[in-house]
Amino acid sequence: MEKLYVNETGPDGVVSTVGLFYSQAEAQKIVAMLRANPDRAAYRYEVVEAVRQILSSKESRRAEPASKE
Amino acid sequence: MRGITPRREQGVADPVLAEMVHEMGLKEAPHYAAVKPTIQAYRRRWVELAPYREGTVNPKRVEVSDPVEITRQIKAKAAELGADLVGVCRLKPHMIDLGEDVPHEFVIACCVAEDYEKVMQGADAVEEEAMRTYVRCTEISNELAAQIRAMGYPARAHHNGGSEVQAIPIFYEVGFGELGRHGSLINEEYGASFRPGFVTTVLLLVEDRPREFGVQDFCMNCNVCQLNCPGDAIPQDYVVTHGIKRWLIDLEKCYPYSRLRNEYCHLCVDVCPYNVKSHSDTYRAFMKQRKQVGYKTPKAI
Repeated sequence: MEKLYVNETGPDGVVSTVGLFYSQAEAQKIVAMLRANPDRAAYRYEVVEAVRQILSSKESRRAEPASKE
Repeated sequence: MRGITPRREQGVADPVLAEMVHEMGLKEAPHYAAVKPTIQAYRRRWVELAPYREGTVNPKRVEVSDPVEITRQIKAKAAELGADLVGVCRLKPHMIDLGEDVPHEFVIACCVAEDYEKVMQGADAVEEEAMRTYVRCTEISNELAAQIRAMGYPARAHHNGGSEVQAIPIFYEVGFGELGRHGSLINEEYGASFRPGFVTTVLLLVEDRPREFGVQDFCMNCNVCQLNCPGDAIPQDYVVTHGIKRWLIDLEKCYPYSRLRNEYCHLCVDVCPYNVKSHSDTYRAFMKQRKQVGYKTPKAI
């Protein structure tokens, strides 16, 4: 099965992971429901392969000094 | 207020489980298909109580001039009904299921602690204890909601018989604990061995605050749940949701040990070192058993 994260980016640029999903259909259904919520009109959503996100976050953590998220 | 947090369906309504069940040529996941009569009775009980989540609101509203006092009274009532912890916070969109709309401003969180000693009696005993606790939470939250409605304020109970709210963000917000690597909230006193029930309402209440005591930092270096998971379903890496670290369990790896066999799997919670505070002797004895069969245990065991 695929492993996909849905990420939400707020108007302030802060990224929050909505959850882990196991197919494009499942992930896109969640994104469609979130986009349909007028209260979240200022938020952006994207579907990212889980492995890719983990690798990129590891790289960015290595590039920055240690900090508490 | 509209919710933004997805909830996974249960049983074969969950597409991941449905696909795995289909590949095995089954109609239902073994975990749901074959359950002991006592567990079936507990499940029937919360279904029976589901229609009483909501009800008629007394048209003669009792005016509340002192939110501090009414909050104290509600917490005392919940404790009297059997809740081990009670907390209050303002309801926020991430505490509500995606697609649901809850017309309330406050949420009362109750939890009932499980008897951790059951781990020594095996997986079935652990599940039976979980189901017993869920029923207690159902009864408490239904009763609490009914009492608030009797005061003239809309209130709805959320529990295993039906819920539109999410346990972990609410439990965090009311100060019950922090999210652990195993995906459950960890309380200082009860570890992760407790179950939830909630009431949402429009009644003005006094909010509690989150309380952190180092769980997420501890989990960064403690891999005991991860290394004891028979399916290797607990990840090393975390994501961040609303500023909180989350280690998202891989259900494709978890289900073969939890839903696709008869025996309950609760190991990630049972082996958590935070159980040592509340049940030192039982925890140490249980972890000695784990060590004998080759699993990692904390250094002190």
